[in-house]
Amino acid sequence: MNSLPQELVDTVIDSLPPSSLFSSSLVARRWRRRSQQRALEKIKFLSEDQVNRWCTDFPQDPEGIASYAHVARFEDIDFWYDPTTPGRALKSLGSLTELWLSCTKIPDELPGQISRGELGNGITALCLWCPSCTLATMTSFILSLPNLKVLYILGSMVGSEGPLQSHPVTSQRAPLDSLELWGDVGGIGNALVESGFTFRRLSLEVDPWDVEPLIMRSSETMVKLTLYGV
Amino acid sequence: MEFLDRFAQEIPHHTLSLPALTTLDIKLQGGNPSPQLITILSSISSAPALDSIAFEYDEWSDMDTSFQDPWVDMDRWLARAAEHTNAQGGLSAIFKRWPKGQSVSEGFLRDFRRAGGQVKIDVQR
Repeated sequence: MNSLPQELVDTVIDSLPPSSLFSSSLVARRWRRRSQQRALEKIKFLSEDQVNRWCTDFPQDPEGIASYAHVARFEDIDFWYDPTTPGRALKSLGSLTELWLSCTKIPDELPGQISRGELGNGITALCLWCPSCTLATMTSFILSLPNLKVLYILGSMVGSEGPLQSHPVTSQRAPLDSLELWGDVGGIGNALVESGFTFRRLSLEVDPWDVEPLIMRSSETMVKLTLYGV
Repeated sequence: MEFLDRFAQEIPHHTLSLPALTTLDIKLQGGNPSPQLITILSSISSAPALDSIAFEYDEWSDMDTSFQDPWVDMDRWLARAAEHTNAQGGLSAIFKRWPKGQSVSEGFLRDFRRAGGQVKIDVQR
């Protein structure tokens, strides 16, 4: 076993089903790291308790276990007892490249936490399923992620309160690679336009009222346009 | 109609220039393009790099090959786009999930073809 090159061990682990990764991490020390990397590559939180446990067990450590997580999904957490919890989680998840928030509350505090703490620099893809927040919070949150490339929004539980003018465009941002908007997204299209976003690829399944300003705003940068259900 | 009238007033026709656009994908839920789609497309004044437009039908919709009125409007728009494209090889209209056994009628997208556009059919499997 010890004579096997590490690359071969890693290849074996990569071929294992997820259900075997806990066992494979116990085979030998040389099996542990790759097994843990694969097991924790995509993680899902279903409650604030789970998030708190993660932050306690895996504090921020660029080389530690928390750094193995590249995709995180927060699901059905529609209320945070401590609104700073998502920010603490993002601090712990320093290697995150993809963030999903599904029917989950985006606290008003989160964009500020991200900006002040320089969190989420590695996040390039953000997926929002029926996000629960105000439009102002959502746009601030999206704006706070400096390296975002892919944005997907499906439906919304966005509140109409929260004036957009309190979040003016501060600088010209490079075009995002793609935006997909699905379902009843309220005024999100206009909010993105007013926040200065442009896109290279647009996929839209939305009310025509939201389509036109987005197309107009990205007219110089857009290489692909997909229109659904029209 | 009130909605469409209001929408048409909001979007001035032929004012939108899309200089970088190369691909347009349209996923149709019904058999024909909707007035909203025609209105959106009519707002595009120029898309000189456009080289393909793909029409795709969801699994519940069949292509209406009887060539109803909405396709006349679409034909006009496609013909204008084909005339003004600078894309090498011209502009192609690709129809995905075309009904099996249905042939393309001679009159289908006649203006578009006269303008140099190509109709490509991807038959439903």
